[in-house]
Amino acid sequence: MSTYNMVKQEFIKKWITTLHMLDCSVEHPLNVTERKNAIKLSSDIAMAAARSGSTVWSRALISRSGNKTANKPVARRILKKARNRLKNRCLTLRRNGNFTAKSGVRKRTELLKSLVPGGELIKNKDYLIRETLDYIVYLRAQVDVMRTVAAVDSVTGNLTNDNK
Amino acid sequence: MDLTGGFGARSGGGGGGGGPYREPIGLESLHLGDEFRQLVTTTTTTLLPPDNAAGSFTALLELPPTQAVELLHFTDSSSSSQAAAGIGGGDIIITPSPPPPPLHSFGGGTTLTFPSNSALMERAARFSVIATEQQNNNGNNNNNETPTSSVPSNSSDRVKTEPPETDSAMENQSLCPNQTNRSGKRKDFDKKVKSSTKKNKSSEETEKLPYVHVRARRGQATDSHSLAERARREKINARMKLLQELVPGCDKIQGTALVLDEIINHVQSLQRQVEMLSMRLAAVNPRIDFNLDTILASENGSLMDGSFSGTAMQLAWPHQAIETEQSFHHRQLQPPPPPPPQQWPFDGLNQPVWGREEDQTHGNDHSNLMAVSENVMVGSANLHPNQVKMEL
Repeated sequence: MSTYNMVKQEFIKKWITTLHMLDCSVEHPLNVTERKNAIKLSSDIAMAAARSGSTVWSRALISRSGNKTANKPVARRILKKARNRLKNRCLTLRRNGNFTAKSGVRKRTELLKSLVPGGELIKNKDYLIRETLDYIVYLRAQVDVMRTVAAVDSVTGNLTNDNK
Repeated sequence: MDLTGGFGARSGGGGGGGGPYREPIGLESLHLGDEFRQLVTTTTTTLLPPDNAAGSFTALLELPPTQAVELLHFTDSSSSSQAAAGIGGGDIIITPSPPPPPLHSFGGGTTLTFPSNSALMERAARFSVIATEQQNNNGNNNNNETPTSSVPSNSSDRVKTEPPETDSAMENQSLCPNQTNRSGKRKDFDKKVKSSTKKNKSSEETEKLPYVHVRARRGQATDSHSLAERARREKINARMKLLQELVPGCDKIQGTALVLDEIINHVQSLQRQVEMLSMRLAAVNPRIDFNLDTILASENGSLMDGSFSGTAMQLAWPHQAIETEQSFHHRQLQPPPPPPPQQWPFDGLNQPVWGREEDQTHGNDHSNLMAVSENVMVGSANLHPNQVKMEL
């Protein structure tokens, strides 16, 4: 179980960092929706940074989050840095027009591509499946960690309320 | 009742995450376990008299409450409802059977999902983390018999290999499952038509060769195009098998389209869970950076094996004394000035990069976030210390 735990540890470390950064940069008070967006953003970035490697989805996720934080030069710099690592992957988005698939497997493949970040850029079905596999592992790690934190959080919240 | 719902629930995305790490959350066990026992006992007593018909559920209810609770815990851990997961994970901890060695068949047909899932997650995590490594085992589960014990030892050395190697490594990785797949098939089929020049003994040397060595079976076309096509299809099928085992409930399904359906559902449910969990975390805490004090303050801190809490505490405590004043000062000023992040004790490699970031993107603190992610992608960032303890 150690590899999966390593994944979760990496994710937690990065997540704590990104949470603090986001907290420093945003004015208080925030309403619930903004907080939720901030938490989700930080956790997405942490997840992608934890898988700081050769996966398309991690880079696509960071670029997507970079758009959300409205600072494009920095996001582009990160993408360039990541892009240097793998020269063969084509990252330009090709427009296919209005081609919608009718047959089952093809349609589902396109749906999967829309789900996985950066999936539309992958032409090869083999790589798509590999990316999906990776993405599922990290997504599940994210969910596990968040669920545990939420559980611990609610309990400590109850305890402090009782003490008052 | 919540319990009845959980009992019959189909295992969704929550099933995979159920297992081992949830065991010792000591804080939960204080309060929730008693309530749970009460709920179960009332359920059994009320439901038992009227409904004595045959059926697994009522047969379950005839058991003494503790056993029922244990069995319910197993099925609860496989249900996707959060509440059940929260309660069920609390007190009634049954030590799961140790996860089977990765090469055995998964699940074994039992109703327990989380031992198999934990082994699966382990293999899948290893598969992705060591995706840059040359590994022969994860691609083909059934055909392969070589032990995976060599893989973890490799991983510790090779996880830090430079990403430029990824190109060749990826190719090799895609080649290796193909090769082992071929050797596995060779055992089954006696008659073969050897393709033109390539021998199959090079399966051990696959890592060095950039070619795909394919052997055609009897009665199949030996055209180079169709061979390449077949190799590609084999690769895809091998990966699909791995995906099938990763996503719960996919083993029985035949056909690519349905398997893809399941995978899509799984990814969607995981993403929705992330949304829901982040909303829940946001609703509970008034501030964003909540989890430092919750994680570090809880005495167990055993989100995982227990090694995590050690790591986090080591990283956090040394910096606490330094940072608390600044962060406190930080709070009073709105908007916060950029200088505090510079005092993070990054190692020397990251610090010049950080300084550059500061100069160029002054005034927008979101840039720090992206810069941090850049830094954490480059090297390892130290944890920001716990600033809440000072202020509480």
